[in-house]
Amino acid sequence: MQYLLNGLPIGATYALIALGYSLIYASAGVLNWAQGDMAMLGAYLAYTLNRIVGLGFLPSMLVAMACAALVGTLVERGVLRPLRRRASPSINLIIATLGVAIIARNLALIVWGPDPQLFPSPVGSRTISVGSLNLLPQDLLIVGVAIFLMLLLQYFLRFTREGKALRAVAQDRMAASLMGIVVERSDSVAFATSAALGAAAGILIAPLFFVTFNMGAVIGIKGFVAAVVGGLGNIPGAIAGGFVLGLTEAVAGGKISSGYRDAISFGVLILVLWLRPSGLFSRVNRAKV
Amino acid sequence: MLDRMRGLPWWKIAGLALVLLLPLAVSNRYYLHVLNLVGIYSLVVIGLNLLSGYTGQVSMGQAGFFGVGAYVSALLMMRLNVPFVVAVSAATLVSALCGVVIGIPAMRLSGPYLVMATVGFGEIMRLIMVNWVPVTMGAAGLTGIPLPSFLGMQISSERGFYYLICAVLYLATLEALRLSNSKVGRTFLAIREDDLAAGAMGVPTDRYKVAAFAISAAYAGIAGALYGSFAGVASPDNFTFDVSVLLLCMSVVGGNRTIYGALVGALALTVFSEALRFLQGYRLIVYGAILLATVIFMPQGLSGLAPAVAQVFRRMHFPGHKGQNGVAGDKGETCR
Repeated sequence: MQYLLNGLPIGATYALIALGYSLIYASAGVLNWAQGDMAMLGAYLAYTLNRIVGLGFLPSMLVAMACAALVGTLVERGVLRPLRRRASPSINLIIATLGVAIIARNLALIVWGPDPQLFPSPVGSRTISVGSLNLLPQDLLIVGVAIFLMLLLQYFLRFTREGKALRAVAQDRMAASLMGIVVERSDSVAFATSAALGAAAGILIAPLFFVTFNMGAVIGIKGFVAAVVGGLGNIPGAIAGGFVLGLTEAVAGGKISSGYRDAISFGVLILVLWLRPSGLFSRVNRAKV
Repeated sequence: MLDRMRGLPWWKIAGLALVLLLPLAVSNRYYLHVLNLVGIYSLVVIGLNLLSGYTGQVSMGQAGFFGVGAYVSALLMMRLNVPFVVAVSAATLVSALCGVVIGIPAMRLSGPYLVMATVGFGEIMRLIMVNWVPVTMGAAGLTGIPLPSFLGMQISSERGFYYLICAVLYLATLEALRLSNSKVGRTFLAIREDDLAAGAMGVPTDRYKVAAFAISAAYAGIAGALYGSFAGVASPDNFTFDVSVLLLCMSVVGGNRTIYGALVGALALTVFSEALRFLQGYRLIVYGAILLATVIFMPQGLSGLAPAVAQVFRRMHFPGHKGQNGVAGDKGETCR
């Protein structure tokens, strides 16, 4: 039980990152490897605003998310769009986003230095005990805020103009463009939303770990795994994938071996992919000639 | 002898002479060390090009195979006193087997799912290196890997390694070229362009995809075995996800649809990375920017420039001859 409880907040963060991967993949058909670094940027920005400028936690989080969204848009405009216009092979798009990740990581290294920064939790760090179970207030905050953001995303996708356009593009890019939707604008929206979600994940997880310039690497890969488990491009799948991964890790790490924790989750993942090549929660699409 | 040499174009002879005489002219051991690393990375990237450029299967876990090669040959030499040549062969074989193991689940995957499976493989290999302490010595890694020796000669200097690596690289390149021009190579291309159509034409696509993985793993395995003896140490830090990414970048920057693109890519990225050292903290930022610029403005990689360069050469030699039009982008088909 305790393991499951530990897995929930981690799973929620993975789910937020996974949503970013899925949104971008659904709309633009691109794997954005800089997704984890958006979490890093968000965490650093919020840390700076909160600890150095002295803003409250909530305003710093919102400003950091907005800044990350701006960065996401810039990446889409400056990197993705020229690549698309040239009809580059998809492997070039992957390398390009990796290039963005390298740049972001090293800029952060220069701006904030190599030392890990402590970002104290806004809700204190006194353990709450319920029976034999222990949890931190920050855990509750993570899960709460993550669920709130997921609901907000659902609202955005279902009931706003931009959200509807995004879903249309995800369903059929060509048809959407014929119906007068500016697909490139939709890509920008997807990148901005994903970056904001990633930043939120980074900010939420920061009090549990430290803020470091290369935190994006690990979070990014985990989020990607979660998105793939859920079936890339599938929004509920990404959320489920995040929680599944978080719980698997917590149980595998606690029950079997902490050293092999990640190896076990990757092993499970490869098995899942072997049995269901397009993720656990996707309908099977047979390719047609 | 002279008669046969007359058939060779002058630039081939000049190139050969340059490669053979280079270590005598370069006295700085650091430069030779970097060149040797370029050679080792080139080996891995040739395999990666056969896999991703020719067969269209992207791998972001190539460092895993590279590491398997290094660890297997080092352990065989250290624990069982196996001769170098046998150890390298065994490492290549084991690595190829790993390629088959990952190739089997991978043959049904494509796009991001394939990327994921290969990332997972690379990470699993690294975690085994970290955690299987009795055999791999954990995070500290293996130290004191014996120097290569065969036919009674021991190779210990950078110069010696240079010739060894050059010889292996030469054979590996020849083999890759032979393979890519054979029926197998053309089948790989058919799978890349449309694997459903290839299957419909009677190509056993699954078997070819697994074979492509095994071949690329074998290349990485040889490279890993050489690397272990060359560096003298093998630790999990040498085979991380970042290394896989670096290898993939070399492949794409050099141009992954040619064999020699692998050499160009490995050379270009290693030289960039070393030459930018004076920028210190800003080094990797500039490096990332160069990476971005290359993939945006040269979709075919550096080797995609070759036809244009060749045309310039032709013009220089035959001023009257106009050269062919529209030579850039030879196989201009793109994936999306």
